[in-house]
Amino acid sequence: MKKVALVGAGQSKYGDFPDKGIKELFLEAYKDMVASVDRGYDPKMIESAYIGNLGSGGFQLGNMSALVSEYVGLPHINTMRIENACASGGYALVAAVMDVMSGTHKAALAGGVEKMTDVSGMKQKYWLGVSGDTEYERLAGTTFAGLYALIAQRHMHEFGTKREHLSMVAVKNHKNGAQNPKAQFQREITMEQALKGPIVAAPLNLFDCCSTTDGASAVLVVDADIAKQFTDTPVYVAGFGTASDYLAIHDRVSTVTLEGTKKASAQAYAMAGMAAKDIQAAEVHDCFTIAELLAYEDLGFCEKGKAGQFIEEGHTQIGGDKPVNASGGLKSKGHPIGSTGTGQAYEMFNQLRGTVQKPTRQVKGAEIGLIHNVGGSGGTVAVTILRR
Amino acid sequence: MAHVSVPMYWRTIPQRYKMIGQKCKKCGHVNFPPKGVCKYCSASSDFEELKLSGLGKVHTFVLISAGGAPPEFADQEKAGGQYPVAIVELAEGPKVIGQIADADPKEVKIGMPVRTELRRIYSEEGVIRYGFKFVPAEGK
Amino acid sequence: MAIGISGYAAYIPKLRIKKEEYAKAWGSFAAAGVAEKSVMGFDEDVLTSAAKVSKRALESVPMPPEKVSGFALASTAAPYVEKLLSGTVIVSVGIPGTAFCTDHTSSTRAGTEAMISALEHMMANSSNRAVVACADAPTASMWDSLEHPMGAGAAAFVLSNEDLIAEVEAYACSASEYLGERFKPKGDEMLHDLNVKKYEEGSLLTNTLKSGNAILKMLNRKPEEYQHVVIQQPDARVPSTVAARMGFTDVQLVAGLVSKSVGDLGAASTAVGLAAALDAAKMGDKIMVISYGSGAASDALSLKVVSDRKSAFKVQAELDRKEYIDYIKYLKIKGAIV
Repeated sequence: MKKVALVGAGQSKYGDFPDKGIKELFLEAYKDMVASVDRGYDPKMIESAYIGNLGSGGFQLGNMSALVSEYVGLPHINTMRIENACASGGYALVAAVMDVMSGTHKAALAGGVEKMTDVSGMKQKYWLGVSGDTEYERLAGTTFAGLYALIAQRHMHEFGTKREHLSMVAVKNHKNGAQNPKAQFQREITMEQALKGPIVAAPLNLFDCCSTTDGASAVLVVDADIAKQFTDTPVYVAGFGTASDYLAIHDRVSTVTLEGTKKASAQAYAMAGMAAKDIQAAEVHDCFTIAELLAYEDLGFCEKGKAGQFIEEGHTQIGGDKPVNASGGLKSKGHPIGSTGTGQAYEMFNQLRGTVQKPTRQVKGAEIGLIHNVGGSGGTVAVTILRR
Repeated sequence: MAHVSVPMYWRTIPQRYKMIGQKCKKCGHVNFPPKGVCKYCSASSDFEELKLSGLGKVHTFVLISAGGAPPEFADQEKAGGQYPVAIVELAEGPKVIGQIADADPKEVKIGMPVRTELRRIYSEEGVIRYGFKFVPAEGK
Repeated sequence: MAIGISGYAAYIPKLRIKKEEYAKAWGSFAAAGVAEKSVMGFDEDVLTSAAKVSKRALESVPMPPEKVSGFALASTAAPYVEKLLSGTVIVSVGIPGTAFCTDHTSSTRAGTEAMISALEHMMANSSNRAVVACADAPTASMWDSLEHPMGAGAAAFVLSNEDLIAEVEAYACSASEYLGERFKPKGDEMLHDLNVKKYEEGSLLTNTLKSGNAILKMLNRKPEEYQHVVIQQPDARVPSTVAARMGFTDVQLVAGLVSKSVGDLGAASTAVGLAAALDAAKMGDKIMVISYGSGAASDALSLKVVSDRKSAFKVQAELDRKEYIDYIKYLKIKGAIV
């Protein structure tokens, strides 16, 4: 098996862009990635592209990967769309890594793109609603907010997690995202605002929920043997893991654990020869504030049930011993579904090379980072560990 | 709209109207809703049909406000306000999600006993979809 | 062999609205004798209510649904004009697909029509067993005073030839042509009523007196021999009007007079009234039921109570379980705000 490295990463701004479709957004991310390759590269070297995407921008149901690949000048490569709901990007990265690791290709693009804001509110809710268990969860009257609220309610019941703990996640991530020029929401919020947001699905309020949005990202994955041709500071893939779970929360053994996260991260740690304690920075899937708390536990940063205490003690702030979501997370950046996973890779690429835009959110000296991408309410999870 | 086709919905009528579950012939556990392979032993596709009682207890719940309601339930929320949705642990073992009807949202609690009842779920393409919701079981 | 009711049950949805709410909105409440009425919940309809009362009625015998060979459903407010309505109910209740099921819909007389249809099924074979489910929630335009009394409710009966609570002694019908009373043309959402009062009263009295008096003659009885009389209740005053002309007293009407608390139950009016009368009746009591549906027809049935057994789901318990709503919420729930 070959070792694999990232030598370039790019991301578009995340937000609501009526003037840009999936092609234009993907181009923006691609160009940003090209610019990030320190010594440049020849586009002809890219032999594969794995593109995470859920809704195809609402029109190109089939072959969207061919469409965006040729739009950025890669017309004849091994291209495929990867779809695992919100984990599409994370799985696109894993697919690209496995491609290069296997020796099949020397260079692969892992990217993601999503266009959420063109379509009507009803269609957006339809796309999102059918990534959970449509037949029962959707028809019981829930969207993802409702499903994560079911988890939050049980977490509070089993462990005494408080409403304030959820808001701490929102406040932290908005504080970080305010320093991220590519985030959709670059504004801090106070604890009081976070606590008093209008209820969406009790106990979750508006500030507990991320916003799906438009955006794209792309990373260049190469055989580690040739990485130094492109940069003195490649970021190596130390390990990765993927695992699925029962789609419907009611089918799971525990309502307050994402088995997918536990199993995927265990695989990643094992492959990397590491443990949770080795992780110096993490980008986790905070689609809802409770999801970030679960991630602390299921990634092994703290014991099950202790996530509230963990954030309260400040461990996950920038400057803490386990900074989580220095980018602002999905909460502040926005969540362009297919792009989120590779967007996390883009952030970690910069964190580990010390090239984060707005150095105020740079995790100083981070050499080992973990990215965690969850599909829906945990049906699929991809975890990748990157290191300098 | 959820866009669950008519045949797709119709295939689930034994569960939605009659609470028909599957008892695994190998390990004896009850699967509801149905699975292709028993969820508990992962070893058998051999089931016997079992009509569940519809009785259960609330395992966890959420109160859905307008922002959290899918479009097919938007009018229900507008007319009647917040509605509760719960994961219920059924008497026979499996857990299933369902809306709670006929209950004051403030009174929904973990552990509350409930039972199933036929209700209108939603309407799509002019076709009404009926199915079970949970109602408080007043000790009966 | 005697045929009759071996189990019965009622269901009244818990939401209620008081006449004062209407008076606040419109200046007056045009439903004689009705103090408050019941309202179907947003996610309920006549089919979910029919399923509920049918299950309750079977449980009250108890009889397993698999034994039922005939099912008759009655409602004027079914959610479909064309589509088998009984299908939804029998599958939910567990009544076999081999049962003969009938949908009765076109006027408020449908409840007794369903009852008689089921009785005739019972008479065809001694092993037959039937369930009659009457569930209704009539609607009219918010602008129309016709709407004021309209309520919601359901009752079901298990028909058998054993373990009887009440025997059916006789039934009689009167059908006629009376155009332009309460009617709903095809494609119209709302009921109409041209309000030609004397004409309509003529239809009501002609048909109810014909069917009611036919029973008295058939059984050679006098009105005072009945302990309970249940008459169609488009409001709480119509029964008195009919009763007076037939020689019944208001005292005989008391037990079955549910409309003062629930309003006009349409095709379920006599059914719920009968359930209330059965709750109150003593062994040996005789009950007269007289329905009426516009267009027009009336059925009359005579029953004799032969047991002290009662339903576990009494009408009074249903009436007592309530939650009041205001007029705005009423309009929202009925989808009337467009």
